Amino acid sequence: MNAAAPLLEIDGLGKRFPSRDGRSMSPWVIQNLSFSVKDGEFVTIIGPSGAGKSTLLNMLAQTDAPSEGEIRFRGKPVREAGARLSPGLDCQIGYVFQDDTLLPWRTTIDNVLFPLEAQGRLDDASRARAETLMKAVGLNGFERYYPHELSGGMRKRAALIRTLVYDPPIILMDEPFGALDAQTRVQLQEDLLRLWEAGRKTILFITHDIAEAIALGDRTLVLSRAPTHIIGDHSIDIPRPRNLRDIYAVPQFAGLYETIRAQVQ
Amino acid sequence: MHKARTVLDRVLVVAGVIALWQMASLSAGAYWVPAPWPVLKTLWAMAQSGALARHASYTFQAAAWGFLIGGLPGAVLPFILRRMPRLSAILDPYLVGGYGIPKLALAPLFILWFGIGIESKIAVVASVVFFLVFFNTTAGVRAIDPKLVQMARLVGASELLIARRVIWPSAVPFIFAGLRVSTPYAIGGAVIAELISSNRGLGYLVQLGAMNFKTVEVFAAILAITLIVIGANALVNGIERRLLRWRPANALNKDAASGGM
Repeated sequence: MNAAAPLLEIDGLGKRFPSRDGRSMSPWVIQNLSFSVKDGEFVTIIGPSGAGKSTLLNMLAQTDAPSEGEIRFRGKPVREAGARLSPGLDCQIGYVFQDDTLLPWRTTIDNVLFPLEAQGRLDDASRARAETLMKAVGLNGFERYYPHELSGGMRKRAALIRTLVYDPPIILMDEPFGALDAQTRVQLQEDLLRLWEAGRKTILFITHDIAEAIALGDRTLVLSRAPTHIIGDHSIDIPRPRNLRDIYAVPQFAGLYETIRAQVQ
Repeated sequence: MHKARTVLDRVLVVAGVIALWQMASLSAGAYWVPAPWPVLKTLWAMAQSGALARHASYTFQAAAWGFLIGGLPGAVLPFILRRMPRLSAILDPYLVGGYGIPKLALAPLFILWFGIGIESKIAVVASVVFFLVFFNTTAGVRAIDPKLVQMARLVGASELLIARRVIWPSAVPFIFAGLRVSTPYAIGGAVIAELISSNRGLGYLVQLGAMNFKTVEVFAAILAITLIVIGANALVNGIERRLLRWRPANALNKDAASGGM
């Protein structure tokens, strides 16, 4: 692989849905959206509500087909024209949903092990890896608990490491910490950054919180209203490791916040 | 403490029912409404002679076989139809129609087809149980959170694994709701089929007692049927509790569709 080639390229992506009667098409939800992501980059994406953020992630995750444009992974198109979608791109793309999507009938550890079971990779080494991850986010001792017995923050942690456990090179995150209280949220952001710095996955993180986008990302993309495209691409030059609790005090923060806020309407 | 209190209250209710029963017997006359004690004595005598076991096991067998023969396809068919929306759309009105048929009205037909042996009773029970389990399971298959299925696909699960590990477990509570509702109907269906034509079973005992004007035997047989229904219900609930340990306590006993016969 050419070192300079981006890991993921999104080129002229567009999406519109059939109308309810199926005879015509809705207006474009996303149109002419292009960006690329380097290996190991943490990209945060911010946009107004209704900007088709989830639609974008679904296309990246290969659970929905674009109406036009192309997605390339390591320089190769992910899908031949008209070919079937392959959700998750053969486990190359992980997805952390807005809701935790834990299976309620499985204990925490069995939920974390689910992807490995699905991929037929359940062995002692992968179990040990799951346990290490559980410990890293403070879920040790809760292995045998069912999701309804965990707090919202713990369920999010479980969902996060369920994606990390099978080590996909790209992880998509759809406002994963949106529904949490401020305290839990900062803890989870810290957990996420620590795990990311240890493993250096490529992360595309959608949020509607400008401060969160700046605090976490190497780069922040700003989406327009529908038809959605990229209207801002900001490099976040705050050195790592970052102290998330004092991120507002970093000198670059105020300037970035103002610039981005001016674009997000 | 809470549990002990419930048990105590239940004992009180039983005592109240027995007292009312005794009063009814006194006011209507023991011939029409035999008193609790003679009924219990008759039941005990039937138990000792082996008659109770013989007739009860016949009824129980008819109910159990019907439960299995009706319940199994009722629980499996919705999973197959989920993958075949066209077939499902074609069959839907007929299944709803079948659900609506009063199954007991079919009993004479089943007796003509299968004879007065146990087969016709099994057929009645199966036809009742099938629809109850089928519609509950269908509701369960439809209630699956599509996000969970999407998640499973994304992490590389095959369709078979999704069916076994995602769709099946999320439908189990609904299947059990169907089974729980079906249990009394299964036993009731067997009994009523026996009433119509049989020479064995608890329904036959009811019929025989009534023909001989021995209301005390009718009451004893009905009491035995009631006890079997309670026992079978406890069995289904016990299995359900074991299988559904993952559910929050207040979610149990919530999502049953009821049915008719």
